Amino acid sequence: MSPPVKLIGAFGSPAVHRAEAALRLKGVPYELILEDLENKSELLLKSNPIHKKVPVLLHGDRTVCESLVILEYIDETFDGPPLLPADPYDRSMARFWAHFIDHKCAKPFMLSMWSEGETQKESMKESKENLAFLEEQLIKRKKRFFGGDSIGYLDIAACGMAYWLGVIQESAGVSLASGEEFPALRRWAEEYTSDEAIKPCLPDRDKLLTHYVANIDKYRLMVKAPPA
Amino acid sequence: MEKTPENVSQQAAAAEAPLKLLGSWASSYTHRVQLALRLKGLEFEYAEEDLGNKSDELLRLNPVYKKVPVLVHGGRSLPESVVILQYLDDAWPHIRPLLPSDPFDRALARFWCHFADDKLGPAVGAVFASTGSEQEAAVRQVHENLALIEAELREGAFKGRRFFGGDEVGILDVVLGCGSYWLAVFEEVMDGVRLVDADAFPLFHAWLRGFEALDEARDTIPPVDRLLGYARGVRHMLLGLAGAGDGAAAPTAAAEATAPVPAPAATDIAVDI
Repeated sequence: MSPPVKLIGAFGSPAVHRAEAALRLKGVPYELILEDLENKSELLLKSNPIHKKVPVLLHGDRTVCESLVILEYIDETFDGPPLLPADPYDRSMARFWAHFIDHKCAKPFMLSMWSEGETQKESMKESKENLAFLEEQLIKRKKRFFGGDSIGYLDIAACGMAYWLGVIQESAGVSLASGEEFPALRRWAEEYTSDEAIKPCLPDRDKLLTHYVANIDKYRLMVKAPPA
Repeated sequence: MEKTPENVSQQAAAAEAPLKLLGSWASSYTHRVQLALRLKGLEFEYAEEDLGNKSDELLRLNPVYKKVPVLVHGGRSLPESVVILQYLDDAWPHIRPLLPSDPFDRALARFWCHFADDKLGPAVGAVFASTGSEQEAAVRQVHENLALIEAELREGAFKGRRFFGGDEVGILDVVLGCGSYWLAVFEEVMDGVRLVDADAFPLFHAWLRGFEALDEARDTIPPVDRLLGYARGVRHMLLGLAGAGDGAAAPTAAAEATAPVPAPAATDIAVDI
């Protein structure tokens, strides 16, 4: 019998959602410990001393940090439908695109939303190029999800695109694309967010929107700061 | 994945397909893949890219980043060194695995590979691209990062190990090792900068010496004098373009400027670990 699973998370975090989505798809019960990120707990600071971020998976006496690392850990540890594809090349490309989402998409998107002038213009262009890559990948697969007929690792990794993108754009009053653009991604987002296992661990939309609107000045300041 | 007779033979057939690696001789990311292929005993064709004048093939095979390394196997291409290393394990699971078998150990290995590329590497790059007080701050950052790794070797996840992978080198050795040679090279190029002090980081230092002594590492890592020449050229170019020394902007500025042939674009320079 596997030891209990706890997940340290915070409201509204897409990274935390990734971990929850994986646990739910595998049918693994877990206790969610919600953090106030303005006032981090001893448990969080002790469990993730290097990055001090959520999510952190606690499985018995094991601590796993970083959402994509957690996804693979969950896939490898628990029974249930596999999250990563079986074919080595497809597995690698799933990892590649997840890395792309975190490393290439995140910053231009934030700048698109919260910067101004030339920076914003350039960032929006780059963000659309990024979305075009993902749109292409989805079309190539000719399936409901990046993972095929059912939700997989890359769908979960791309959750930000499925749900947060829309909310953040609304909060900032910035629209990256018209209703006609990226039809495959739009359809996919609808499929992902309405899935029975996924829905319960998506943050309430109104609450999320309120959160982003309330913090907008902070985000605008944050993108002005020189890179860490 | 279930090993049906059908997919076992598919995998075997796939494993036989030729391997080609597009790389650059001074790119530590390229070295990672070369080293891993050698550790696995896999034959491959190598194609040297001129990063100042990238081939159509590279641009076609890696349209997202346009960078090396790219591995081509059976007509399918894979960019990103850490993705490629895991692919080698998935495609050749029975030959000298790079990742441990236990899921938690695998998670640790992946976490630290990310740390190497997201934290340590950029910190080392920042040292190389800056001067004065900015550089001092960057050096402190490198020391903080190395101290974290040292702590894991001393009393944490990698306590008592010869290599991060245990008795044999694993993925984290390959990732950290192919890049850590720049530390000593940069110290040589930039007078007065101490990055990897044997007194401050004795276990890391000892691990690095052990790694560099491996036959496969010696076959892969270019000779120090070549690395020094290369680093001097890059440093000169970065400082020249940075002018008054906005360290953080220098690599981008260098990438956009028309670099003198044959200097590569700064964003391709594998100065990060």
